[in-house]
Amino acid sequence: MGATLAEKILGSHTEKGKATAGEIVETSVDLLMVHEVLGSRILPVLDEMGFDKVWDPDRILVVNDHWAPASDVNSSEIHRRNRQFVKEQNITHFCDVDCGICHQVLPEMGLVSPGDLIVGSDSHSTTYGAFNAFSTGLAATDSALIISTGSIWFRVPESIYVKIDGKFAEYVMSKDLILKIIADLGPDGANYQSLEFHGSTIDSMLVGERMTVCNMAVEAGAKSAPMNCNKHVEKWMKEHAPSRSLSPVEPDPDAEYVETFEYNLDKDPLEPMVAVPDNPTNGVPASEAAGTKFDQAFIGSCTNGRIQDLEIAAKILGGQKIHKDIRLIITPASKTTYMQALERGHIKTLMQSGAIITNSTCGACVGGHLGVLGAGEVCVSSTNRNFPGRMGHRDSKVYLASPATVAASALRGEITDPRRL
Amino acid sequence: MGAFEKIVGRAWVLGDNIDTDQIIQGRYLTLLSYEEMAKHALKIPRPDFASGVKKNDVIVAGRNFGSGSSREEAPQVLKELGVGCIVAESFSRIFYRNGFNVGLPLMLVPGVSSNVEDGNLLTIDFTKGTLTNNDSGKMLQGEPLPSFMREILESGGAVSRYKKLKK
Repeated sequence: MGATLAEKILGSHTEKGKATAGEIVETSVDLLMVHEVLGSRILPVLDEMGFDKVWDPDRILVVNDHWAPASDVNSSEIHRRNRQFVKEQNITHFCDVDCGICHQVLPEMGLVSPGDLIVGSDSHSTTYGAFNAFSTGLAATDSALIISTGSIWFRVPESIYVKIDGKFAEYVMSKDLILKIIADLGPDGANYQSLEFHGSTIDSMLVGERMTVCNMAVEAGAKSAPMNCNKHVEKWMKEHAPSRSLSPVEPDPDAEYVETFEYNLDKDPLEPMVAVPDNPTNGVPASEAAGTKFDQAFIGSCTNGRIQDLEIAAKILGGQKIHKDIRLIITPASKTTYMQALERGHIKTLMQSGAIITNSTCGACVGGHLGVLGAGEVCVSSTNRNFPGRMGHRDSKVYLASPATVAASALRGEITDPRRL
Repeated sequence: MGAFEKIVGRAWVLGDNIDTDQIIQGRYLTLLSYEEMAKHALKIPRPDFASGVKKNDVIVAGRNFGSGSSREEAPQVLKELGVGCIVAESFSRIFYRNGFNVGLPLMLVPGVSSNVEDGNLLTIDFTKGTLTNNDSGKMLQGEPLPSFMREILESGGAVSRYKKLKK
């Protein structure tokens, strides 16, 4: 029997070179990404373990992104601990508070390559599947074990085959596609499993668009979300990791999948989608949520704070003023993204429309800072989670949508299908 | 299973898809002491939980408990408050792993949410994998723990297991 992407990539990181769904394997990790969890939770675990030295200072990326720059005394202390750890352990790859969101900066630094096994101390680490990697989120204890040993156990996941063919209509984005897919799967539809994405749509997608899809696969419970390599990934690798030779992995034709989902966007056009509170899998066509009033519009996060996202927002807003009753907060995913948007004039356009541009951080998405919701407030957001209280007060609500839908909605002051502006 | 043989505690019944933000919101994650953080545990679905929970109480949930973030703070704050076990119809993968890593037992018991009411007194037998509702007298059979997860739990969590293996 052939192997899926998950089986192949995990297998190539085991001693025997093979992995089959259902078995528990010990794997060697190519890269570990940790953020503030290092200072707050991992270091105490390392102390308890009697830790001495990192297994490989070249294979760890430390990012201060969630509360960047520090929003209070505690986050400041966490950042201080991270900086000290980086120095003491001679960690090669470090992004301090000026850099951006981990899932954006890791690929920008050329730290993911096709076929890699990457672990992050963050559930959205599935994002690197866009680069043909097996990548997943673990937490403090597992991260501590990787920091000391470089290896970790996994139960090899079964895989679900998702095939998407056809083209997006104007103002329909990859965010709409993943909101549709996870609505079909439900909140645990891919729990413990690997969501493997295929089809002409995925093959032709830009890197940033692919990252959005892989990023939100975890909202259906997916352990990983690998895609085949494409020409945009190859180009990205040439620009960001020119020294690495590429060895893309493809699943075998006779690989076994537990389920298959097929979408044909030409036959069955995809509409802009909105995930209504309180779960990311509550996606409905934007027309059904249209008219919903809100207090805050937000564009940013590891899901949709990239250059294409700022570009479409700037195009839709085009200098027109946002609705007087709302605020629009825009948080570019990284400093690089921010600079690109500046150079292309998008930041000016967005600010002329009334947007507040913040530095790059996870801030508002985690209810941390720079856009926290008050009691009873409603936000339409390009982020990934709309759980109760996710962006602030327990009685606040979040509607998830694409940057195009958020921008269109910001103009009208109510949820608006961007095609109907 | 040592200390994990049997516990008796009251049930706190929650629904499906209790995500990690409901267990502990992102805004509390910068708190550096679990004791301090635990005061905010399950604040969204059960504001009365942190002040009312007693040692060995049992959380009973439906499907997909612990979905969302990878934050280990979620099982940690529940353990900090003395929760003896979480019983659910299913767990989200990262939460499941985190629970065992920090030494908090999790048990899969099909049909549990329709057989337990809030406040019922429960007996959990980890060796047999059973849950008995002392108030109704009904006993439910849970799924046996995978041997690898049992090994982690019996070691006292992933860090203790690591230390033992290292010796």
